[in-house]
Amino acid sequence: MNLTIIILILIFSLSCFFFGKTKVSNKIKISRGKLNSLPKYYGYYLAAWCGLPALLILILWTFSELYFVKFIILSDFKADPTIDENKLNLIFTEIVSIAEKKFSGQIPQNLIPYAERFLSLKYIFELSKLAVIFSTILFSIFFSYEQILKNIKAKESVEKIIKSVMFCCAAIAIFTTFGIVLSLLFESIKFFTVVPIFDFLSGTNWSPGRAFIRDASTEIADVENVFGAVPLFWGTFFIAAIAMCVAIPIGLFSGIYMAEYASRKVRKIVKPLIEVLAGIPTVVYGFFAALTVGPFFRTLGEIIGLEVSSESALAAGIVMGVMIIPYVSSLTDDVINAVPLSLREGSFSLGATKSETTKKVILPAALPGIVGAILLAVSRAVGETMIVVMAAGLGASLTINPLEASTTITTQIVTILVGEQSFDDPKTQAAFALGITLFFFTLIINIIALQTVKKFREQYE
Amino acid sequence: MINEKIKISTKNLNVFYASKQALFDININLKENKVTALIGPSGCGKSTFIRCLNRMNDVIDICKVEGSIKIDGDEINKKNLDVNLIREKVGMVFQKPNPFPKSIYDNVAYGPRIHGLAENRESLDNIVENSLKKAALWDEVKDRLNQPGTGLSGGQQQRLCIARTISINPEVILMDEPCSALDPIATAKIEELIDELKETYTIVIVTHSMSQAARVSNDTGFFHLGKILEFNSTEKIFKNPDNKLTQDYITGRFG
Ligand SMILES: Nc1ncnc2c1ncn2[C@@H]1O[C@H](COP(=O)(O)OP(=O)(O)O)[C@@H](O)[C@H]1O
Ligand SMILES: [Mg+2]
Repeated sequence: MNLTIIILILIFSLSCFFFGKTKVSNKIKISRGKLNSLPKYYGYYLAAWCGLPALLILILWTFSELYFVKFIILSDFKADPTIDENKLNLIFTEIVSIAEKKFSGQIPQNLIPYAERFLSLKYIFELSKLAVIFSTILFSIFFSYEQILKNIKAKESVEKIIKSVMFCCAAIAIFTTFGIVLSLLFESIKFFTVVPIFDFLSGTNWSPGRAFIRDASTEIADVENVFGAVPLFWGTFFIAAIAMCVAIPIGLFSGIYMAEYASRKVRKIVKPLIEVLAGIPTVVYGFFAALTVGPFFRTLGEIIGLEVSSESALAAGIVMGVMIIPYVSSLTDDVINAVPLSLREGSFSLGATKSETTKKVILPAALPGIVGAILLAVSRAVGETMIVVMAAGLGASLTINPLEASTTITTQIVTILVGEQSFDDPKTQAAFALGITLFFFTLIINIIALQTVKKFREQYE
Repeated sequence: MINEKIKISTKNLNVFYASKQALFDININLKENKVTALIGPSGCGKSTFIRCLNRMNDVIDICKVEGSIKIDGDEINKKNLDVNLIREKVGMVFQKPNPFPKSIYDNVAYGPRIHGLAENRESLDNIVENSLKKAALWDEVKDRLNQPGTGLSGGQQQRLCIARTISINPEVILMDEPCSALDPIATAKIEELIDELKETYTIVIVTHSMSQAARVSNDTGFFHLGKILEFNSTEKIFKNPDNKLTQDYITGRFG
């Protein structure tokens, strides 16, 4: 239905374009002697007026329609105090599926009249939608045509329209971000009313599963003591640190090699090859870590008589480090290339060798940029999920032994949200609290990183 | 006059950037402890020439230098030669001051540290102090040796670069338009400095300013389109050049 309407609107717009470009501009040319814009701008102007308001109304209408229908249908049930919000939603879903003949099982007789009501309401709404949209189109075509006859500058108006369309797109991006943060925030606030924020941030026991088994178990698991996120923070930090131990030296040196030592030909081949690492999907890294690296460490451990679990922080961290190498090396390469040639020449002219120059002049000069690059890589490591889910295990423990299983914030979010869950349960809400904590972590790291890189760039401009 | 020693001599020096030839058969002799000025319109190959003298053109991949360059009679344009030894002997000051982003002290101490010229901190301090004094910068910076060299004014930065160059006791100092980024007062200071430095060092200076060449140099070479059109004592070049083009260039009729 909506698709048909959209296509119709587009067809109208297109015809408006040609109408404006030929007929209208000709008419103006005849009546005024000359045009104030190229003919196509009259076309764009008419087409934009024809299409944009109609599309806007279509979108708004479609979203509010469902809301109104639901409100009207459910008004009968609201009187009953035994029916809460969740129940209401469930009833409405049932009514809709009955109406759409998708209901499986015994149809509850009492809901059938509501289903019929739903269908007729929907019919009315759709009809009025059509009416409103097409009168909008007519009205705005008429309006814009009048405007053109009043000799407005079509070119400038089109410019304004384009500007506002672009502004809307930018606004959508920003509002979405805000929306996400706000929804995280609201859910987390709900969570923090049940579990004090201090317990969450400083508690050392993370076993949200026990928040459920309160009734089943004789010992009463209290909600307050199972949501201590410190083990997760630790696991996140620990695995990221292992990853950086791999990524920093290898990435840094390959970056330096590419920037300072490799001939142009070698660089042209090596750089894209390293960057391929960044293009490998993380899930592939994940099973590489879980199926190859993990077992490898276990066998290695057996040989030297160490107990290594097949899921270990070490395996996940190392593979994550490999994944991050290109971030560090590419950025290092860029940053080093941004150090002006004149500094190199200054050092060479004093009889310094290449490695002396690199060590004593280039690296200190590039340091802020390199630090920025490393921080960006850290924030990448902190947010990485797939590899950890697959290779590091799920048990939250406070351990400094890299051979044991470990877990991170992101992994726990996944575990919590996979499978059965309901939205009002603290376990689910804990995921939001974790999410917003993680968001703040990476936000701060990113801000610092971008700031240092910016300072570095300013230094050489 | 007859006993002037030749410090650097080039023979049939040809330089190419990829397939484009930038210098054609340069044959000149530069005298020890004298200032030689190189003048000529932009793009005529002056920088290319002086960068041959400390093998700085090695830094540029596509640059190929053919012919002979001798310093004290030793060939320097040959393979299997430690270029760092040459650069130790032939220092260079660039057009744009390029102090390292380090403290004033570390800028000057950079070369001596690399070549192990000082046994202890005290002798390093001495080298730094002497170099800065020779570069006529000591009095201005002696109280702030730990501040970054990049924080100095343009003229001071250039003198810092000169101090850096003389800190490793070179025999020759190459200067590629050392004053073109400086104001007249800073320029006058550098010119004064050059006058003092020529007691100790052989100096080759590229300059755009005729008056500067006339003031500071003993000999002058005029480059044009990659060739050296005239090379003679500065007096002769400026009073009575042999070549018509030299005359035109000096009097500002082209350039
Ligand atoms: N790095 C380079 N790559 C290619 N050509 C160059 C390079 N440097 C200089 N040239 C060319 O060599 C010629 C001489 O340049 P240069 O020695 O810089 O002249 P000058 O210093 O007298 O102005 C010019 O034609 C210039 O285009
Ligand atoms: Mg030049």
